[in-house]
Amino acid sequence: MKKDSDDSERMARLAAGDTGALRELYERHGRALLRFSSAMCRSRQAAEDLVHDTFVALLRGPHLFDPAQGTAYNYLCGVLRHRISRHFRQQKRWVALADDDSAAAHEAGPADEVARSEVSAVFRQAMLELPLQHREIIALCDLEELPYHAVAAILDCPIGTVRSRLHRARALLTIRLASLELLDLDQEPPLVQLS
Amino acid sequence: MTETMHPQVATLLSRYRRELRDTKPSDALDARIARLVAAGDRVSPQRPSRVRRVSFWAAAASIAAVAIAVGILIGIRLGHVAPTHGAQQQTALPADFSLWPADSVALQIPAEYSAQGTLVAVDPNARSTGKRYWIDVVVSNDGTVRIDRIVPAETSPKKGAPDGITLQTP
Repeated sequence: MKKDSDDSERMARLAAGDTGALRELYERHGRALLRFSSAMCRSRQAAEDLVHDTFVALLRGPHLFDPAQGTAYNYLCGVLRHRISRHFRQQKRWVALADDDSAAAHEAGPADEVARSEVSAVFRQAMLELPLQHREIIALCDLEELPYHAVAAILDCPIGTVRSRLHRARALLTIRLASLELLDLDQEPPLVQLS
Repeated sequence: MTETMHPQVATLLSRYRRELRDTKPSDALDARIARLVAAGDRVSPQRPSRVRRVSFWAAAASIAAVAIAVGILIGIRLGHVAPTHGAQQQTALPADFSLWPADSVALQIPAEYSAQGTLVAVDPNARSTGKRYWIDVVVSNDGTVRIDRIVPAETSPKKGAPDGITLQTP
């Protein structure tokens, strides 16, 4: 709670023109935002660009943050999410020069800076193949382990929607992992109960 | 509501999460943010949305006004250009060009007085019932028609004019 009020104070300082507050906000939340962005984007460079754009947006409109609506992190995450969404919309307008360009990007290897192990690289590939809506819910709920109410605030939707969307996303991920032979669904193991 | 997950998926997620936790911003990103902080004073915050909206509509109205003005100017210019173009075409015609095939044509038409006392054209091969006249009609190259003269037909019509019309060029 103290941290949240500190963030609100930083936001107020930034709105007043103290750009040092931007540095503090970046040091506090930059890494978490980059994790979320990296989980969403295939390219590490694109993930960093989007985080940078988020802070540019914050610098241009700090007055848009309303502490009554949620925490500074939730606000920044919401901004980043919109940027990611726009990034993918813009990407659809481009056509790859080589047919196997995306396939090369899918391949796990030393170039993949996010997933170091081979298994994680395949898992990451499965994640990146999920629709954006499902990918973001897994990134926020299962990777960032944010509470449902925080995710609902970031996605600007009811908690019930978060739950149902997460359920569908996990099911899709499970099927995708099975198709990549990372899972054996025939064994029917007991399900793990999550809080 | 308790969420459930396949244990292998949970394991994979946990593993990926640990690797993701090690993600750190690159030096390049740190430097970009540092530049952003340094340049912060020069980055002007966005104006309130209402002002932006007014600016947008003002810009749109200006563009529309300029477009209409350009359209009117083009229209006026085309209006001026069209007759000049026609005049150029006329002057480009050869000097000896005429819409008429000859300078003028003279026609000789046989006519007789009718019962009503008017002179009417008759068939030259028909038998004459009264006094016959020749009407010389001249059609000028500008299209005007005039009766040149009317003379009594004391002699038979000229050969080569079976229809009673004799073409003459002055």
